[in-house]
Amino acid sequence: MAAMIDDETLDRQLREAVPYIDDEGFTSGVMAKLPATRREPRWLRALILVGLALLGSGVAYLLSGGGRFVREGVIQLSGFPIWLLLVFAFGCGLVVGAFAVIVAVRKTPEVQDVARLRF
Amino acid sequence: MELTDADLVARVLADDDQHAFGELVRRHQSTVRGLLRQLTRTDIALADDLAQETFIRAYKNIRSFRGEARFSTWLYRIAYNCFREDARRRKELIGVDEEQLQAEHDPQTVDAGLRHDLMHALSLLPLHERTAVVLCCQNGLSHDEAARVLDIPLGTVKTNVLRGREKLKRTLAVWGPN
Repeated sequence: MAAMIDDETLDRQLREAVPYIDDEGFTSGVMAKLPATRREPRWLRALILVGLALLGSGVAYLLSGGGRFVREGVIQLSGFPIWLLLVFAFGCGLVVGAFAVIVAVRKTPEVQDVARLRF
Repeated sequence: MELTDADLVARVLADDDQHAFGELVRRHQSTVRGLLRQLTRTDIALADDLAQETFIRAYKNIRSFRGEARFSTWLYRIAYNCFREDARRRKELIGVDEEQLQAEHDPQTVDAGLRHDLMHALSLLPLHERTAVVLCCQNGLSHDEAARVLDIPLGTVKTNVLRGREKLKRTLAVWGPN
């Protein structure tokens, strides 16, 4: 009875049995069938975003009476005790830091993989 | 320096850069077409049509690629889905046509070469084992990646690879360990 080949040899033979398939116009055929580019250029999107942000800021400034609420808010804050301001700043830092960590984890597959590990 | 797949995908996402996508097609066309040829049992015309459909779908849905897996793994998954949908359209019941295939097998046409015998033996495996063997043994995907491509449990992939390998080994035993 003939000996059975091992896994490594079988895998190697399987890989070698499939030659590289020459493109022979395949890529150009795919490219010809792709839908036309429908999105505006990057600079235009950036311009629209900045424009809308400036417009929104201007409207908010005018509607809030020339930013009076900011001045009043700062004046009120200045009346608070220093320890309360420190606690407030620390709390704000914690909240922003937590959001940053959450976003970073969500956008990093490697970290997600580590988080999925079972011990 | 050559751009990585991730760089090219980023360009497609940022600027709808079709040249970058063309480079991705050029890089992966051989493996995707090869996979589909195995799945369609070397029906080259059908495999190439499905490969074209695969890349067009990939372009349209590239925003759903989150970089959690390799780009090639993501492509394999699309290719496999294209194949399954086409098989359903053709009213072919996936994975239960082994007897028919055995009947189609004509020993007279078998080439004396190992490569031919190997590919022929591979084509005789049931679809679920063939797909697992092609992805893991031929294309080098991990079991975990293959499970994602096929959307089946990891244990099922391992079983299918094991059974497929054993069947191939039995078929090819006559060639010996070399």
